[in-house]
Amino acid sequence: MDNLSLDTADLEKLNEKDKTELRQFLQNENQKARIQATVHSLADVCFKKCITGMIKNGKLDKTEENCMVNCAERFFDISTLTMKHLQNIRQS
Amino acid sequence: MDSESIKTEVIRQVRTQYAIDNAKQLIEKINEHCFERCVLKPGPSLSSSEQTCFTQCMEKYMAAWNQVSSTSISRLQREN
Repeated sequence: MDNLSLDTADLEKLNEKDKTELRQFLQNENQKARIQATVHSLADVCFKKCITGMIKNGKLDKTEENCMVNCAERFFDISTLTMKHLQNIRQS
Repeated sequence: MDSESIKTEVIRQVRTQYAIDNAKQLIEKINEHCFERCVLKPGPSLSSSEQTCFTQCMEKYMAAWNQVSSTSISRLQREN
């Protein structure tokens, strides 16, 4: 990979329009990275919970697939529940 | 370099970096899980059954990852 090296002087050459575009691009990429981090951690946790039998082939069987979906869905439920409960504690 | 090509280069470098980080995390998790599952008693070399198990485990982990990814994305879209 031939990385063209950019330095601060180069970045100062950016016009306002390109700066705005880049800011938007970075915001989007950041959001994607946050979602991806959640996916990595969920895949880790759910693989442990759902793929418990002998590994006989490379595909997910129906049971494993359902378990992965449920595992991810329930994790989101739990994180919503945490927020709700914390709000209740704060209000009481 | 003009503004346009600097912008394009920044975007390219950021995308590459994210892709590398993503791949690194995936590889790390595959090694961790599949080593645990497939190499039960480490011998003097990887046996062919360990290698088969590892390849299948790797494919399974990626399938599981993709499943979690699409579930998460549709859930987030529903909630926002």
